[in-house]
Amino acid sequence: MLEMFSYDFMIRAFVAGIIIAILAAISGSFIVLRRYSMITETLAHSALVGVAVGVIAGSNPLWMAVVAALLSAWIIEYLRSYFHLYSDSVLAIMLSGSLALAVIIVSLAGAFNSSLFSYLFGSILSVTENDLVVMSLFGVIALSLLGVFYKQLYFIAYDEEVARTSGIKVDMLNFLLVSIVAIIIALSIRIVGTLLIGAMMVIPTVAALRFRQGFAKTILIALLFSVVAVIVGMSSSYFFSLPSGATIVLTLLFIFIFSLIVNRR
Amino acid sequence: MKFISPVFEVSNLTFRANEQSILEEISLTILPGDYCAIIGPNGGGKTTLIRLLLGLEKPTSGQIKLFGQPINKFKRWSKIGYVPQRAAGLDQNFPATVLEVVKMGRIATQGLFAKATREDREAIEEAMIKMDVTDIQNKLVGELSGGQRQRVMIARALASKPEVLILDEPNTGVDVISQKRFYKLLKELNAQEKMTIIFITHDIGVIVDDIGRLFTVNQTLLTCNNPKEAISCDDMSALYGIDAHLIHNHHHH
Repeated sequence: MLEMFSYDFMIRAFVAGIIIAILAAISGSFIVLRRYSMITETLAHSALVGVAVGVIAGSNPLWMAVVAALLSAWIIEYLRSYFHLYSDSVLAIMLSGSLALAVIIVSLAGAFNSSLFSYLFGSILSVTENDLVVMSLFGVIALSLLGVFYKQLYFIAYDEEVARTSGIKVDMLNFLLVSIVAIIIALSIRIVGTLLIGAMMVIPTVAALRFRQGFAKTILIALLFSVVAVIVGMSSSYFFSLPSGATIVLTLLFIFIFSLIVNRR
Repeated sequence: MKFISPVFEVSNLTFRANEQSILEEISLTILPGDYCAIIGPNGGGKTTLIRLLLGLEKPTSGQIKLFGQPINKFKRWSKIGYVPQRAAGLDQNFPATVLEVVKMGRIATQGLFAKATREDREAIEEAMIKMDVTDIQNKLVGELSGGQRQRVMIARALASKPEVLILDEPNTGVDVISQKRFYKLLKELNAQEKMTIIFITHDIGVIVDDIGRLFTVNQTLLTCNNPKEAISCDDMSALYGIDAHLIHNHHHH
């Protein structure tokens, strides 16, 4: 079992995976509680545009994914607040729009190949040392921001109006949250893949909510689920040669079903 | 003598939504220590008035000053505690214990990196004792009764040690005994801690003996500094129609 760690790529994959697990569970909890889960899907598809650009331009796709996801997050928030459009319609438009753009870029470059497949569904083989540096850098930034603004974000998620009247900078923090989420999603496409990252952000919290605890405990349970899913998922990816994103999400699904059964009512 | 700046100073405030007039030319002044009730028919603009005072809506025209400062320049929002009407409408499945919710009241006043200080802890404890929610502090907010939830919301507002407490129909869904206790508490906060209290209510009968000032809002404003004289049957029927006579007369029996 432990012999898989004799491979450097496996160690890199585990480090990357656990960074993602922690970030996704924490930021995902705020997104889920704000009924904004679908933004994760949209941003993941936007990150794919960055990947496409990175692949054909020969630069690191991860950096490009971060840029693309951030830009998309800001456009979404701008469209929502400036034009007062429905959130879900904006998300649908940006999702399809991003995917269309990504497909065109990739087709024009004639770059439909196996490396793109790994960006869609994740691969434990794909994490380079450079990726780990990028992930740690942004990971630390994202985690510190979440740590600093954790209480404010929590207040806003529960009661946005009272948070506003008590002097919390709600608009600024909403903007910050979607930016952090954009970065985390872009970082996670190596391990989980763009088509599957949404589950990684959403399921741990939804499953943890079934246990009906306070906020601090709910986040801890979500963290636990998330880390367990990544460890189990990546190990099965190694042993059965399956895309790691798929095995992680399937593990999360089992955890979700488990939480439903244990907390029947 | 030191000039006391009013808590709220509103002049010629008009609010329209979709070309429809909600409030017209409202002017009012609320001084520190005032104990005010706002009454009026449904749809008369009571809640809108409060939301304007809190900066949640932008006026179409007119001016609002808080503690002498124009509302868009006002920064010390933690001086103002707000208990909205829709407390019952909040997500019942939200993962929060009573203690976690009351703690929210301190978040805006804490520095970003600061850990909770002794002052924070004391304010939270005091607010919970005052609102009698200490025993249920580890319960989830979704498991509370209407009255309990309302008390938790007020405890959260009190935790920030506000100088002004604004409540929008605080007694919706609360039984009569709790209501009486509740008005007694508001009165105490006003008398002992000099807290300015402003609340929207329908319980005219219950409050009329106690309140200092009564505002009746139905698109326009009618201010009365002595509620007992001012609530004449004519005013009430103009505001509410015939039902108000019943409430009014019943109270005087």
